Amino acid sequence: MRQFLDYIKAGRFRVPVCTSCRTKAWPPSPYCPKCLSRTAFRKVKTTGTLLEFSSSHVRDHEGLFGVVDMDGIRLVGSFDPDASLSVGMKVRMSRCGVSDAGTPYYWFDVVK
Amino acid sequence: MRRVAIAASQTARFTKTSEKSIFELACEPCIDIVKSVRDIDAVLLSTCSTEQYSSTIVSEMLGIKPKISHRIDNLCNSGTNAIASAYSMIVAGLCDSALVIGAEKSDSKGNRLVWDITRGSFNFPVHWAAMFAKAHMGRFGTTEQQMAAVSVKNRKNAAKNPNALFRKPVSLEEVMSSRRIADPIKLLDCSLACDGASAVLLLSEERAKKVENPVWINGIGQQTNSASFAGAAENLSALETASRAAHDVYRMAGVRPSDIDVAEVHDAFTILEIMAYEDLGFAKKGEGGKYAEKNEIAVNPRGGILGCGHPIGATGVSQVSEIACQLAGTAGKRQVKDCRTGLVHNLAAAGSSATVMVLGVQK
Ligand SMILES: [Zn+2]
Repeated sequence: MRQFLDYIKAGRFRVPVCTSCRTKAWPPSPYCPKCLSRTAFRKVKTTGTLLEFSSSHVRDHEGLFGVVDMDGIRLVGSFDPDASLSVGMKVRMSRCGVSDAGTPYYWFDVVK
Repeated sequence: MRRVAIAASQTARFTKTSEKSIFELACEPCIDIVKSVRDIDAVLLSTCSTEQYSSTIVSEMLGIKPKISHRIDNLCNSGTNAIASAYSMIVAGLCDSALVIGAEKSDSKGNRLVWDITRGSFNFPVHWAAMFAKAHMGRFGTTEQQMAAVSVKNRKNAAKNPNALFRKPVSLEEVMSSRRIADPIKLLDCSLACDGASAVLLLSEERAKKVENPVWINGIGQQTNSASFAGAAENLSALETASRAAHDVYRMAGVRPSDIDVAEVHDAFTILEIMAYEDLGFAKKGEGGKYAEKNEIAVNPRGGILGCGHPIGATGVSQVSEIACQLAGTAGKRQVKDCRTGLVHNLAAAGSSATVMVLGVQK
């Protein structure tokens, strides 16, 4: 998990992938959830489908957010407040990083 | 198989916060139970508090020297998991009596799921609840008014419960115009973490012979799918953990959804109660919203989590405590008439794990 966050801190989205059967370990894990072999960090596809979205008004957590599925990697992404979103649209991760509070964030754009 | 009865249950008054330690909170609902039954073989403490050796400290404070004593932590599901564990220990013959205590402080570490990095910047429970609500609205046409109706019902029930945190009813308009938190979820669609404790005493069939009106645990179903939101629900408009646990419990107890007279379901957000109607088979898939407006069966008579507050490790125990009181006919002002079969539905962390229990009385 620390290694995952180190990559994210550097702005790189890397995910542990099984060295034996190629299954992605998500959330990140040193073991493959399918065959329990070791995993190694790999670059993965960062385009996906928007499954659902909403607006948050929680203090210090305001903004447009949505659940994105990137070939089985499901996460909650942040979107530009002016983005016009609809369920099922294609989106691409534009950047990622780690907040001062230590929480990773993932920003997405709509694929034109 | 040996049967297991609930012989006594107590819930302390839930408060926003208090000066009491987790240990003092945990002892509170046990005093009357322990005064009347000295012979207790097992003490299981359900809490997300990380205080060390806590169940054993509580046992010592209560003057009990149990064979078995340990803490159980599984977030909001902890209490129901602890009762399932105590049940199994009695069935297996490891003990004949078990005191299950749920206790939590409002600032519990269990309130925030810090390990779950799949939720990015939007890592409050209300954020996943908003995803479920939007998905349910989009797929089935569920409305914000239907969700609000759940809050109105549960707050109305809580007004009759002296232990509830919120004892002032709210109107549909008040829920609808409450502050927006994460669309479509508003402040009065949400529960509040608080201080609280509850306890139930489980006895073996032989020991329960002396009990006047025992409530039996007729079935337990449990399912765990993941620890993170990413793996909680494949389809955001239904909780597979809950429907699988329900399937198992109905089979074990030999009952159908239509046999249930009274239920406590996990309503940390109003949408969860609507999804529970469907996952438990009370309503057809997609019709949970309409079911919320009909209000015809007794769901969450104590006021649920919305009305009582959500001391997470205590919630599951207090749900079971309520159904035991209802079936024993000791629920006072909120007594549901003629109930013989009751159900408890509890969830943790975006429904990534679920427990469903069926309790019953012979009448
Ligand atoms: Zn593998």
